[in-house]
Amino acid sequence: MFDLLKSMLSKTDSKYADLRYEIKKEIKIIFNGKELTQIGSNLTDGYVLRILKNGGLSSVAFTKGIDAEKAIRTAEMNAVLVSENIEEPIQFAKADVVKDTFSPKLEEDPRRISIDEKLELTRKYNNLPLKYEKIATTNIGYMEVIREKYFVNTEGSEIREDLITTRINGLITSRDGNLIQNVRAGTGGSNGFAILRNAQEEFEKKTSIALQLLKAKPVEAGVHNVILNPSLAGVFTHEAFGHFSEADLIEDNPTMRKKMKINAKLGSDILSIIDDPTMPNQLGFYKYDDEGVMARPTQLLKNGVLVGRLHSRRSAAAFREQLSGHCIAQDYRYAPIIRMGNIYIEPDTNTFDDLLATMGNGLYILDAKGGQTSGENFTFGAQYGYIVKNSKLDEMVRDINMSGNLYKTLQNIAVIGSDLVLSKIGGCGKGQLNIRSCHGAPHVFIKNVIIGGV
Amino acid sequence: MEKLLAIAKANSDKVEIFSLEQTINLVKFENSKLKNIECKVQSGISLRLIKDGKLGFSYTKNLINREELLQNALDSLKGGVEATFDFPHTKDLPRLSTYDPSIENISNKNFVDECNRVCKKLSSKTKGQINVSAGSAIDKLRIINSSGTDVLLSTSNYFFHNTILYPNSYAAIHRMLYLKKFEKSPDEYLHFVLDTYNRSLKKVNPKAGKMKVLFMPETMYVLMWRLLSATSGKDVYQKQSPMAEKIGEKIFDAKITIYDDPLNDKMPNARSFDDEGMPCRYLPIIEKGRLKNFYYDLHYSKKMNTKPTGHGYKSAMWGGDTVFLKPIPSLEHLHIKPGTKSFSELIKLMDKGIVVAGALGAHSGNIQNGDFSIGLSPGLYVDNGEIVGHVKDAMIAGNIYNAMKNVIDIEDTCYPVSAGTFPAIIFDNISVATRK
Repeated sequence: MFDLLKSMLSKTDSKYADLRYEIKKEIKIIFNGKELTQIGSNLTDGYVLRILKNGGLSSVAFTKGIDAEKAIRTAEMNAVLVSENIEEPIQFAKADVVKDTFSPKLEEDPRRISIDEKLELTRKYNNLPLKYEKIATTNIGYMEVIREKYFVNTEGSEIREDLITTRINGLITSRDGNLIQNVRAGTGGSNGFAILRNAQEEFEKKTSIALQLLKAKPVEAGVHNVILNPSLAGVFTHEAFGHFSEADLIEDNPTMRKKMKINAKLGSDILSIIDDPTMPNQLGFYKYDDEGVMARPTQLLKNGVLVGRLHSRRSAAAFREQLSGHCIAQDYRYAPIIRMGNIYIEPDTNTFDDLLATMGNGLYILDAKGGQTSGENFTFGAQYGYIVKNSKLDEMVRDINMSGNLYKTLQNIAVIGSDLVLSKIGGCGKGQLNIRSCHGAPHVFIKNVIIGGV
Repeated sequence: MEKLLAIAKANSDKVEIFSLEQTINLVKFENSKLKNIECKVQSGISLRLIKDGKLGFSYTKNLINREELLQNALDSLKGGVEATFDFPHTKDLPRLSTYDPSIENISNKNFVDECNRVCKKLSSKTKGQINVSAGSAIDKLRIINSSGTDVLLSTSNYFFHNTILYPNSYAAIHRMLYLKKFEKSPDEYLHFVLDTYNRSLKKVNPKAGKMKVLFMPETMYVLMWRLLSATSGKDVYQKQSPMAEKIGEKIFDAKITIYDDPLNDKMPNARSFDDEGMPCRYLPIIEKGRLKNFYYDLHYSKKMNTKPTGHGYKSAMWGGDTVFLKPIPSLEHLHIKPGTKSFSELIKLMDKGIVVAGALGAHSGNIQNGDFSIGLSPGLYVDNGEIVGHVKDAMIAGNIYNAMKNVIDIEDTCYPVSAGTFPAIIFDNISVATRK
């Protein structure tokens, strides 16, 4: 395969070019309620070409190998058009030439497990909620995505890496009269099929929460002190802060770039955040990014001070900062963009009870239900929560959405727990989907958060 | 495709082949500077077959190996997905104007020049950061099936996004131009974004409470997502629609009429058949506040023992590759009937309240129940009938079945936006949470 890709690349005389070919194997099994609505295994493939010519960069994603030469001419033409319309030529930070083949260590290779076994396991988890009368429906599925990637560039790199992602997850919907509630449930990872076994407890717990939510009352809108559980604090880290560590998002936004200067004091003294794609067995693990750069742990915030950010070769050169290996594509249909790998808040030494004791009164809110950011402002939902009275958990509340200003909220992080948990299911949509986007945190106490209510 | 149909037919009872070829060009400017040019040339084929009452499905990007594609579909039969329906025999479809050949003579250079022209024009009149993008998409779609259907469609699209950003964020005023062919952005379109931005430059922090809230066409999707969920044949069948028993009932204000109009070929992407080869038709969803219809694909119409409405599309909430997806009920040509007042008249009429110019977190919250709880990104604050500033660190929340009963007025013009073609609408008595 490398020879074929190299011969395709030899048709360009541009300063730099790279070509990524991927075979993607997907298995999907989907239940809607009791009904199996989809099952199948499929194989697709495609190419992404990038060309840097005369200081202009451009990409073409194409399906058919015979279109390679046409793709090269198109990319060259577009790169030259870019170069004619920008003041500063685009440069790539210098990266090592890599020749490597890498397969991750797996606990049970999903490729060796029959689709029948995958179907039965999914059916088993799907049946757990459906036992209850007040569970209206489920939407639970098995997903397996195997990306076999071949990367070559004109500098001489030749990298073969496999990314294997599996999960069983979905939505449990409860209903009582006109009131409908739902809760997400699931497990997954990038280190094999074994992680999917023995997850009954997860589906049983989430079923119970979906049922309890039918009796919970809506949260009161207003400004509250809150404790976020690790899942929710992880989403906060990813959405509110993480995205603005991605250099491409701020490169051409001068006002945000000014705020996100290295050495700026952005958070409280106790807050440190790191992104480390090299953590083995975590969802966001990879060895090389889709520019062929080896991933490295990148400290982003240290004791509240911004000390690093996530880069592509292009952005590292533009910012004159270190390469980090964070330029990732969804698959063969996309040129890579800067993405987080495993981002998390570093744990402190406090227990959950310490956090409750410090807060006294407020809300304990749990599990993310989608989040979004627009720079200094973010919004995300929690699946459920509890009122905290005198440092004790009281009744359950629902319909929780929180919103805030990034910089104020980073300063308002008052206590950090010791119980770090990283997410097992990803799905970040920044123009393209990243199913391996992984985030985590311990329990975190934040002061003065706006809760929307309904 | 014909060969594939023949070998698939020999191995099953009924067959459908869906083929899509796409060429997309995209030019992006950030802060008035060219940032990126991207091109995608993609193709793919998906196969559905029915054998002994079971449904098989497979797809590929490169049709190198027909037998493998067929085998994948045959293998998937073993799972036992129930096939309730037959593939339709569709013929004599209306001819729609969906393709403008002039799109082929347009290059990325034209897009770069247009972006440069707009950036130059706007940057002299505002201090805000200007991000624009221009691009085109050409699609060639063909569906054939064993019932004798063979339908073809070529579409051409040109789109231009014009965005002015508030400092320290991606919160912005934006508007899209969406056409079948390349045209320069008209002045009034550029002026709207510029004028709305410049009027709202001041940062304000209004008091929390219940107030009038205007949803711009660009944020109407927040409300429409909830209605789409409640009226989808899939959700009705799965008993997760609060509207399941309410056909014929008045659920919204009488000023609200919402319909799907796939045959309107003044708009880009008009369709005479859906992704299952069913003929498309006009479908009222809400007429003068009354719930008229749910929408169905082949599968869920059969499940609900009703007729398909021609709304089976291979779509998903987060996009995804059309070819890889199975059809589900989807409204791809949604319209809200306009009212009689201009946008500036609506702002005067509002007197005091919030304009939702951008929304954060529309996908979170209890969508089926109709609840919404979104961050303003930004909101515009209206006082004394004028836009006086923008609000960021705030949320609005409500439920569409309450909000849509409290409609004050509707804009006289519709704009193509995410999820449909909508006017702005003012609602009364919506809860706004702020730090005050």
